[in-house]
Amino acid sequence: MAQPAVEPVRSNEFEPLVLTFCCNWCAYAGADLAGVSRMQYPPNIRIIRVMCTGMIHPNLVIEALTKGADGVLVCGCHIGDCHYQSGNMRAEARADSIKLMLEDFGLEPERFDLQWVSASEGARFAQVATDIVERVRALGPSPYRV
Amino acid sequence: MVRVSEEWLNICGGCEVSILDIGEPLLDLLPQLQFVHMPVLMDHKYFGQTGEGTTMEIPEAEVGIITGGIRNEEERQIATEMRKRCDTLIALGSCACFGGIPALANQYVMEDLYETVYRASYTTEPSATPSEDLPPLTDRIYAVDEVVDVDAYLPGCPTSPDLIVEALTAVLEGKPFSLPERSVCDECPTTREKKAVTSVKRPLESIVPPGQSVESSRCLMELGYLCLGPVTKAGCGGHDKVPRCIRAGMPCRGCFGPIREGANPMVDMMGALSSIGLDPRSIPDRSATLQRYTGAHNRLRPLPSR
Repeated sequence: MAQPAVEPVRSNEFEPLVLTFCCNWCAYAGADLAGVSRMQYPPNIRIIRVMCTGMIHPNLVIEALTKGADGVLVCGCHIGDCHYQSGNMRAEARADSIKLMLEDFGLEPERFDLQWVSASEGARFAQVATDIVERVRALGPSPYRV
Repeated sequence: MVRVSEEWLNICGGCEVSILDIGEPLLDLLPQLQFVHMPVLMDHKYFGQTGEGTTMEIPEAEVGIITGGIRNEEERQIATEMRKRCDTLIALGSCACFGGIPALANQYVMEDLYETVYRASYTTEPSATPSEDLPPLTDRIYAVDEVVDVDAYLPGCPTSPDLIVEALTAVLEGKPFSLPERSVCDECPTTREKKAVTSVKRPLESIVPPGQSVESSRCLMELGYLCLGPVTKAGCGGHDKVPRCIRAGMPCRGCFGPIREGANPMVDMMGALSSIGLDPRSIPDRSATLQRYTGAHNRLRPLPSR
């Protein structure tokens, strides 16, 4: 079996893992645009495409944060642009209670963020991703991290 | 003849009353049952009648019933011994299944509990924490299945006598027993009109007017009372099918625990409440209110200081 030519760089510094849910219609296209436009953003983001931010139940966010992720970012269409009319408004209503519950689980509410990114806002996606990675890096690893 | 061994651990005794409350069906069951160990009924000591024994003695039995969670080392030892001596072990009541009301104490660290109970309480004369001749407390309250394997779960605070009969009959016939994964709402007779709730009212503000039947009432959640029906397992009504608290005109408090194993009623409920447009901040003491009976399994824990 061929060995990789270059050994992966491993440092002991904390590298946050930020799970990102992107909606199929705006934010995922926005992230795609950031990619094809070769915009730089941290590699700590792991994107999961979902049909709408309205389908992201608080259980998914809490589960991610209590089972190893250091942060969770949810990106969807701007208010009024939702492909399903009101899915992102539902996500917005849930975001508040997710932040409250993170306190019950002993986590900083800053580990979670909800941002609107349209399909044309590649630069904004890169900015939003950089912001949360830096914020989580400053907070340190999640206490649930194994 | 099936031998039954029953043990109560960290519990109020309500589940034993519920066994007695089976009523007439108990008369049909009794000829097939032989209670060989039941501290609430008979005087059977663990270490011989005069304490001369050196090992814990719990008689062999086909069916073991444990009520109550595990709070101290003695209870842990009894639970382990029960598991060894019984072929089928039933966890009876919310305390045995998920920690129950006592597990609300899991929100606090041990020093705070001792301080409150023995010193800080207004009605208590301050004294040292007793330690002599007492089994040490476990670090938190455990459900029975966190310590030993459990074959059947019968949640409820207390559980319904009908369910006890059903479970015992199933065990006598050698069949497995489990409750269906349905929510309290599936068995609730109230009418839903799908209208959003704007604020949470407390149950002491009048609910179902006296004289009005629950069948003609609207969904309590829609009326603004925090009802845990959507995230709670059904079955408390027994043969009557109508959930017991709803029958009494009170909202569900969640004693039957999560609908699916491993689900988190608090997260589910908060997700549902915020989706219908309710301010999540308006729920008083959310962590304990929404996990009132399910504090074991690390669901309720002291918050790390930040």
